Amino acid sequence: MTTATTLPARHLPGDPSIWVFVLGDMVIFGCYFAAYLFDRGHDHELFLQSQQHLSQGVGAINTLILLTSSLFVALSTQAARAADLRAASGLLTLGGACGAGFVLLKSYEWYSKLSAGLTISSNAFFMHYYMMTSVHFFHVLLGLVILVILRRELQGSAPPRMQLLETGATYWHMVDFLWIIIFALVYLMR
Amino acid sequence: MTQLRRNVKLDQLICWWSIPIFYQFFGLIFGYLTKIMGPPIPGPNLTLEGITAFTLGNARHMQIGIVLLAISLGFASMGTGVIVVQMRRMSGPGPVLAYCYLACGAAAALPGCLFCGLLFAVSVFRPDRDPQIIAVLYEMGFVGFIGCLGCFATQYLVFALAIFLDRRAIFPKWLGYMTLWNLVTELIAAPVWIFRSGPYAWNGLISFYLGVLIFVVWIVCLITWLKKAIKNQPLEEFDPACTGTLLV
Amino acid sequence: MNLTDQRICLWLVPVFGVVLLSAFGVAGVIPPPSPTLTAQEVANFYRDNLGQIRAGMITVNLCGLMFIPFYMVIVVQMQRMAHPSRAFAYSYLSAAASAGSIFLFADLAWSIAAFRPERDPQLIMMLNDLAWMAFISPVGFIMAQNTFLALGIYMDARRQPVFPRWVAHFNILTALLMAPGAFALMFREGPLAWDGSLAFGLHLGTYAVYIAVMFFVVRSALNHQAREAGAAA
Repeated sequence: MTTATTLPARHLPGDPSIWVFVLGDMVIFGCYFAAYLFDRGHDHELFLQSQQHLSQGVGAINTLILLTSSLFVALSTQAARAADLRAASGLLTLGGACGAGFVLLKSYEWYSKLSAGLTISSNAFFMHYYMMTSVHFFHVLLGLVILVILRRELQGSAPPRMQLLETGATYWHMVDFLWIIIFALVYLMR
Repeated sequence: MTQLRRNVKLDQLICWWSIPIFYQFFGLIFGYLTKIMGPPIPGPNLTLEGITAFTLGNARHMQIGIVLLAISLGFASMGTGVIVVQMRRMSGPGPVLAYCYLACGAAAALPGCLFCGLLFAVSVFRPDRDPQIIAVLYEMGFVGFIGCLGCFATQYLVFALAIFLDRRAIFPKWLGYMTLWNLVTELIAAPVWIFRSGPYAWNGLISFYLGVLIFVVWIVCLITWLKKAIKNQPLEEFDPACTGTLLV
Repeated sequence: MNLTDQRICLWLVPVFGVVLLSAFGVAGVIPPPSPTLTAQEVANFYRDNLGQIRAGMITVNLCGLMFIPFYMVIVVQMQRMAHPSRAFAYSYLSAAASAGSIFLFADLAWSIAAFRPERDPQLIMMLNDLAWMAFISPVGFIMAQNTFLALGIYMDARRQPVFPRWVAHFNILTALLMAPGAFALMFREGPLAWDGSLAFGLHLGTYAVYIAVMFFVVRSALNHQAREAGAAA
């Protein structure tokens, strides 16, 4: 039975540089969040009103989708460590499918907002909404590419590199985490 | 032969030196002389008087700055050249990504830099020019400069890709990740084509200031680790017959 | 031999080909607004389609050089040909870089026109003129690329040429078919205007077919390269 290359039991998951990326990316997103909160502080009323146009239900479903996908990716990593590569590959596919679901639902959400005449230049709230969700969307697309690369690693003939799997998984969890903050700030916070 | 070995990295080092020197010029031109990049950078909502003051009111400095740009911009190609040499050393990616980097760097010079300079040069060329026309040139210069995205987006993409595919770790992996941030700064600069105020305008906190900050951090890291890559390049890689071919 | 990097560059073509085509479609410039429109009509076009024009043109801006990697794969393949020197390959690279530059410039002009829709219509029209001319007319770069590639193929002395000979004929033919675009600089109406059947339709239609065909040609060359390397290993 093929086994994944092993790493010491207690270690920082993934390639150390991914953590540079994760922390840096969170700081950069933090700047977007800060800008959002700053503008929100200036025109609370406008932001509250505009927020009504967003469906909390859709946002919640998207959050659930990404959380589920993160769960699948985490389980996949676990399965790979336990050398169950078939399960790992299958779980990764499920995670990717959820990610694709997020992409579809977010596209639909944008489409419905645009059809209602709510564009990026409608007001400050929608400027932030479209900008943050667009940059996050780009991260999700990149994440899907990474998941495909990870799946190929699992299905390859050589034993899969655990560090690569963990690095990719870390990136995906970061994408999920960022979405949760966006959901909280943009959809929920009153 | 000893002569060759002593000077074998000289050409790369000369090219490397051009990068920090060019960016000093860049800062002098865009920050001090023309004040195009501030501080602080003027915005899309500047009044006609403000625009006239910014351009004609600063005409002599602006002209000197753009003359300097016209002379120095060509030397930015040297940085591209030495980076291409280091990218060619990578094992995993072949030459194709290095050539992409080269082509994108070449393509970027006009729309991404010189065009802006030319527009401002035109705007201050005649002191009696209609302020309305100067205002249009001002706007075109700024939005076209901050908003030129594609050349850099593709260049950063191929550079990051090359680093990730590289099995020899010519550049550290985290530099690849930082390059992805630079790519994202092109995404967050995209809205400058839409907004005239706020954090996503061409003078916005995010589209401009955050973008510049990330770029500065990246270029400092690139300059530093490029020097290391050149220093650490083993002498065995250089063809004794001095053909420029890499013996990797 | 690891061809992953070339394959990635190759596959950027269908992905970004669709993106770029869609972006132009969304911007409402397929078919293009006529050069015969008055300044007010041009200004109205930008004002009434502002969101779509901006969305389209920003996308084109971001993705404008995403075909460069594909052209660079062709450069690498040209270097595999048995030539006395790499002159044609480097010439091809240079032309491709220049083509990318002018393409971005055209996009900047469109985007600037859409930046302030309440501007003097004469200025919007001028910027619109500049954009269309910069987009349609500089056909010399792609014509040069195709010519260099054709010459390279004709002169490829390998027993198993990198590209079959018909690809060279195809490149010369398409270069000639795209030539009418240059005349958009002169004409405001008729088939040679920027919205004309020759300067726009034939020129860009040929380009689209060219890219599609070359995608498969280059893919095939990459497969041969992989087989060659595998056999040699």
